[in-house]
Amino acid sequence: MNLLLLTCQFLPLAGLLLIALLGNNEKSIAAISFWATHAMGLSILALLVVWAKHGFSGYEFEWFTLYEHGSYRFPILFYLDEVGAAYLFAIWVIFSIIVRYCRNYLHRESGYKRFFLTIFGFAFGLNMVILAGSIDMLFAGWEIVGISSFLLIAFYRHRVQPVRNALRAYTVYRFCDIGLLLGAWMSHLLFHESDHFSQLAVLFEHSAPSPASYPALLLMSLLIFIAASGKSAQFPFCFWLPRAMEGPTPSSAIFYGALSVHLGVFLLLRTTPIWSYHIFTRLIVFCIGLLTVVVASISEKTQANIKGQIAYSSITQVGIMFMELAAGLETLVLFHFLGNAFLRCYQLLVSPSIVAHMLRVEGAIDTEMGFNTQNMQNYLPVSIRDTLPEVLQNTLYVFALQEGNLERLVRSVLWTPLKRIGATINACKIWEKLLVGGSVFAVFGSLIHFGLMAAHFMAIPVALMMVLASLSAFSQKHSFVWVWNAIAMSCLLAAVAVWLLQPTARIDILLFMTGIVPSWLLGLLVLSKLPGKEQFADSPFAYRAMAETYPGLAMLLFLSFLGLVGFPITPAFIGEDLLLYHASTQHAWIAALIAISFVINGIAGARVFLRLCMGRPTEICDHAEITALQVILQSHK
Amino acid sequence: MLWILLRNSALFCRFHAMTATHPHVHSIHHHVSAAAEDAPFNLDNVIDRIAHWLPTQGPIKDFIHHNTLHAVQHYPFHKGIALAGKVFGARSYLPLADYQDLYRQGRIKDFAIDWAIAHSHVGHKGAESLRERLFVDDHTAHYPPMSLANHGIRNHWLTHLEVDINSLVHPIMFRLLANFLDQGISHWTMPKPNESFWDCIRRLAQNSFLPLYPFHEAGVRDLLNLEPETVILTCLDKIVGSESLYEQYLLELLLAHPGWAGMVRLIELDPKILLERRQISLKEMLAVELMAELAVVQKKRGQHFASIAKLPNLNKLPLLSDYEEKIVIPLRLKVWHEAMEFSLHAELLAALKPRVGQEMAKPQAIAQAFFCIDDRECSLRRHLEETHAGIETFGAAGFFGIDFFYQGFDDAYPVAQCPNIVTPKHLIRETNLQVEEDSVSVADSFSALHIKPHSLLRGWLFTQLLGISYAARMVWDVFRPGSQLLKIKKLSEVDSHTHLHLLRESDEPTEDGKLLGFSFSEMADKIEGLLRNIGLTKNFAPLVVVVAHGSSSTNNPHFAAYDCGACSGKPGAPNARAFAWMANHENVRAILGERGIVIPDSTYFVPALHNTSRDEIVYFDKHLLPQTVHQLPVFQQAMQEALEKNAQERCRWFELGPQSPSYEAAHEHVLTRATSIFEPRPELNHSNNLYSIVGRRSLTEDLFLDRRAFLHSYDPDSDPEGVLIVKILSAIIPVCGGINLEYLFSRIDNSIYGAGTKLPHNVIGLLGVANGVEGDLRTGLPSQMIEVHEPARLLIVIEQTTDILDKAFGKLGALTEWLDNDWVRLVSCHPVSRELFYYFSTGWEAVDLSMIGDIPEDVCSETITAGQKATIPVHQLRRAS
Repeated sequence: MNLLLLTCQFLPLAGLLLIALLGNNEKSIAAISFWATHAMGLSILALLVVWAKHGFSGYEFEWFTLYEHGSYRFPILFYLDEVGAAYLFAIWVIFSIIVRYCRNYLHRESGYKRFFLTIFGFAFGLNMVILAGSIDMLFAGWEIVGISSFLLIAFYRHRVQPVRNALRAYTVYRFCDIGLLLGAWMSHLLFHESDHFSQLAVLFEHSAPSPASYPALLLMSLLIFIAASGKSAQFPFCFWLPRAMEGPTPSSAIFYGALSVHLGVFLLLRTTPIWSYHIFTRLIVFCIGLLTVVVASISEKTQANIKGQIAYSSITQVGIMFMELAAGLETLVLFHFLGNAFLRCYQLLVSPSIVAHMLRVEGAIDTEMGFNTQNMQNYLPVSIRDTLPEVLQNTLYVFALQEGNLERLVRSVLWTPLKRIGATINACKIWEKLLVGGSVFAVFGSLIHFGLMAAHFMAIPVALMMVLASLSAFSQKHSFVWVWNAIAMSCLLAAVAVWLLQPTARIDILLFMTGIVPSWLLGLLVLSKLPGKEQFADSPFAYRAMAETYPGLAMLLFLSFLGLVGFPITPAFIGEDLLLYHASTQHAWIAALIAISFVINGIAGARVFLRLCMGRPTEICDHAEITALQVILQSHK
Repeated sequence: MLWILLRNSALFCRFHAMTATHPHVHSIHHHVSAAAEDAPFNLDNVIDRIAHWLPTQGPIKDFIHHNTLHAVQHYPFHKGIALAGKVFGARSYLPLADYQDLYRQGRIKDFAIDWAIAHSHVGHKGAESLRERLFVDDHTAHYPPMSLANHGIRNHWLTHLEVDINSLVHPIMFRLLANFLDQGISHWTMPKPNESFWDCIRRLAQNSFLPLYPFHEAGVRDLLNLEPETVILTCLDKIVGSESLYEQYLLELLLAHPGWAGMVRLIELDPKILLERRQISLKEMLAVELMAELAVVQKKRGQHFASIAKLPNLNKLPLLSDYEEKIVIPLRLKVWHEAMEFSLHAELLAALKPRVGQEMAKPQAIAQAFFCIDDRECSLRRHLEETHAGIETFGAAGFFGIDFFYQGFDDAYPVAQCPNIVTPKHLIRETNLQVEEDSVSVADSFSALHIKPHSLLRGWLFTQLLGISYAARMVWDVFRPGSQLLKIKKLSEVDSHTHLHLLRESDEPTEDGKLLGFSFSEMADKIEGLLRNIGLTKNFAPLVVVVAHGSSSTNNPHFAAYDCGACSGKPGAPNARAFAWMANHENVRAILGERGIVIPDSTYFVPALHNTSRDEIVYFDKHLLPQTVHQLPVFQQAMQEALEKNAQERCRWFELGPQSPSYEAAHEHVLTRATSIFEPRPELNHSNNLYSIVGRRSLTEDLFLDRRAFLHSYDPDSDPEGVLIVKILSAIIPVCGGINLEYLFSRIDNSIYGAGTKLPHNVIGLLGVANGVEGDLRTGLPSQMIEVHEPARLLIVIEQTTDILDKAFGKLGALTEWLDNDWVRLVSCHPVSRELFYYFSTGWEAVDLSMIGDIPEDVCSETITAGQKATIPVHQLRRAS
């Protein structure tokens, strides 16, 4: 069983690596993906059979400890129970179907290899999320799913719109990562050694008083809800899902129809003990579900495009799943999930048939609005009898048309203030910044010097500067090098702040820096090699298509971007976790600041990557040569 | 098939009519600069002029091929495409390296390069240096030039302001337009009956508790009370600031989303193209969009932002008023392109040389078959004749000369079964012969449940209860394709137990003013017209099969582009059935007899439908067949064999298909292809179409044309005045020329002139497809349809003398533009001597083929195609018989 867990987890990775190394043409890629998919399918099936023989009980397997320092442990831990089993089953069915479907569907498409690489990366991340035994592992998988989703939305990188929507989805993902990042350290904090999913339930069952204080659990539940709503496009994040339907139809089907969109539900199922003990948190989940159902089902009514309509129907069903979860109907949710996943996947795959269907089968247009104005009129005062129903109807329509205005809401609440602050910082002259920074340090320095404050309070100005550096990166449009340095600076300051708080954590901080510094330098190297650097400031909105013109550099930039934002390919991933862990043992709010900075850095880094690597190469013809030729020819006449 | 023409030509004429009201008519573009200087700004004229640049592709339900660059058709070909490149920012030719590769592969010949250089008006010395320069490596020569669409004043202004206005305003506009025009995807309809776009926006913005973003912003809120025209002028004044730049700004605004703008314009000119009529005009759309732009810019940059007229460096930008003078035709690419075309054209011309030896007298045919001119029927006709020497074939436009509205007994709406320029006066209804129970069975309604997503309660029950079964359904569809998807009855699969009401019983028109059915003399007119066109007025065989065609494909929003274009993108079955019924009727035959066409009593017409993707044939109305016709089984058997050979010939293009010589495997493969939900290429349609040959079958019957020719039958002897050829050409030029140019431009720049890859397409409002949820409508052909196409202009070969053709061209009217400006190439082939003459606007030029040796020969089609992956030159078939 342990072996099967490992094969389920690592076969997609093997598929990805094999395709990357050996996949030179469509045929070999197709062959590798065929075998990898079916090998994975077999091991999933075998795993499920063995697990069933085991008596359908939860099963945990600790492979080895990846990192251990002091009281901190990061074990590679797998866990399988009926929730995981249901998800694995869905993965097996849908992934096999999609791979077979894409064999022909993507035939001769220029991004054939890229597509299969990403889709195997997705399967790898997904299995990691499903099989994760602790929230840290889950977070690693979560990040991988997020990045592959981002890459598939931007699959057609020549066009601006997919790239823009990729960033939109990534921004939401990233914001919701705050929830998981902080959730991860809180679980360390609250449950210490017992943050394994396998122990959660036991923990809550046996200790009559809950294992942590009520406010702490409430906070943790809220963080989990943020993560879950973002991934599953629940209120208030409904808007990104329809807009993410930019990749090839099967990729939309597997991500936004079938699997990725249900990960929020999975997270809630996994962490049920944490949030379900109290009626208030249950109520919150119920309300998220209810609000989503209201907004999404109304928005769905005015979707004039088929994929958007399916997306909103799917969101509505996920909202109902949230409500069912709040009511404690876990088994029903699992069935609902399976049904919704298969149905939406199928609907998306056959969505191009809608024209034929509507014209040849239905042939009628349903023009009914949501409510009957006739009945209403009888109950209204005469003076508004003719106007009010119509106004209400218009209001409802506008509400549906603008999809509840959620996007503008989220944008104005979350991003605009941050952008404003960042822009203000960027507008400051360098001496102003030095002056302010210097005086703040002087004040704190003297306070500490005169013994009015403990030495680790020095971390406060450092942490503030870290946030400011992140914001500066976030709102800088003109210089990519600036953004890059600001991100690195922010990471550095985070490390310093933690060091000031906890000088004993030097090794852990070094571990963090071993991930960040090489990525930063690599990125700088790539940026310095860029052709036409000087034009950057002139056209801040241009996409520079390096992925096409300099694929090697683009790949390096991508890797350094991943490293810099703490993606689980460098030690910085564990380092991030460690920083938060150390910070939170001292001052929880500094940990929160660090998490927010990391998230903002991620978005700023993604933007640099998109602006530089995506887009259509500018192909403007230099007619000089041709004109010259023509002149020569004319003169010969 | 494809007869297009279309509505686009109709529109075209309308455009011209509009501009004709203006003083300067002959050059629209000169007119631009002139207007800017002297006349005061006239919004209506300006909109008419800029709308000329918009694509004219209608709703996706009837896909009509047309010249993508109709906007520049009044220029010579090369100048026109250079101009279009400067406006749209598109490529005009293949990359230089592609032509050089073709040369290395021997597909472009030296004599063709010489010919192209000789026709490019450079001196003798110039020719030498030009020839040398052709082989220089240059990887940028084919790139698009600086263009209005990408480097115009609007982009410059947005960069200056640092407001990404397209990303802010387009999603809002596209949502509003899509919901306003939606034909049935959305559950709630946006406009009230007969409400115009402007009124609808005004209602939603002013009469709702929630603000309609961004029309509630302080700067624009009051504009809603004005008329669209005033709004446009007010906004332009603030945004542009200088009247001389208004026109250019509006054009660039539309070029940022040509798909929606073109759709709005088409609907404005002809609301009938929608099933659910909508009232919208380009002016209203511009007013709404400019308001949104103004609101967004004011929000980001305050009331006093810099208008375009105040931008620095304005004079360095391409200006609408002078861009025509700055056209540069890339000479090398032009020469390479012409050389490629001439090489390909010469392959056919060389094969038309006079035959050595006496033609053998043919035995009387046992059966005759009419096919559509469609290039996909070209190979089927060859295989059919190869299979049975006693079968004679004819080509004609696939509506067989009968135009009518048709409503099948389970169709919701009547559809026009004829080329688009024809507006039929007749309506034909189909009824079911067998009485069926009218109730919808439970099983049926269940099987369609997944088509439309439903949200709430029903959706919950449905997903909860049935969702999981879709795992099985998906597995079935993906791993065992072949079963019918969605239970949608393809129009091409008409049940044979139905009846067409063809004979008019009363002259009372229907409520839409249509006549229900034809009278006998009208029928005789239609039949006579077709028979005379194709030159079959005597020697009727006992069996005449009228083969229409259609194509079944699955999961394909562009399905209409696969069907018969002569029937506006529908299968031609009703026309074939109507033709056969009429031609079989004794009253019609009596009238025809009086007019000199005697159809013997022993001759019987049978309608049939060829499914071009599945290579299957259905024969209709067999219950009407008299016992005396015993040739049908023979014909059916020959046809079956020909279809299998045809499937095998098609399979050589499918990389994932069987490459074996087995007919069964090939046929099996094309069947699966048409029913797989994951197959973006059910067939390759008109890829590689190149020739259009109008003449007797004897001209082409022993040629292997590799499915590249539109074949129209024509008897030169019966047309001494060129009357028939005018009729034929007025169909062939726009239809075949339209198909050819649409393929050509979609191939040359698939992202601008074409629709890009099919894979991310999303169906919007049943109007068209877009990338993702908030993209612009994509016009043109998707990459899967054109990727193997060799983009060369159509060569029309007519078997007729130049004198008669000159007479005929005089009566062609506006269509001579296609010939004189080289949008299609034309060659006259003398009916007796087979001397060839190239048509130029300056006169006929004898074609000198002395440089070309003998064309390749072979004994049958299969040996020619075996193992071949690319296009194959014309071969002479020396049949063993």
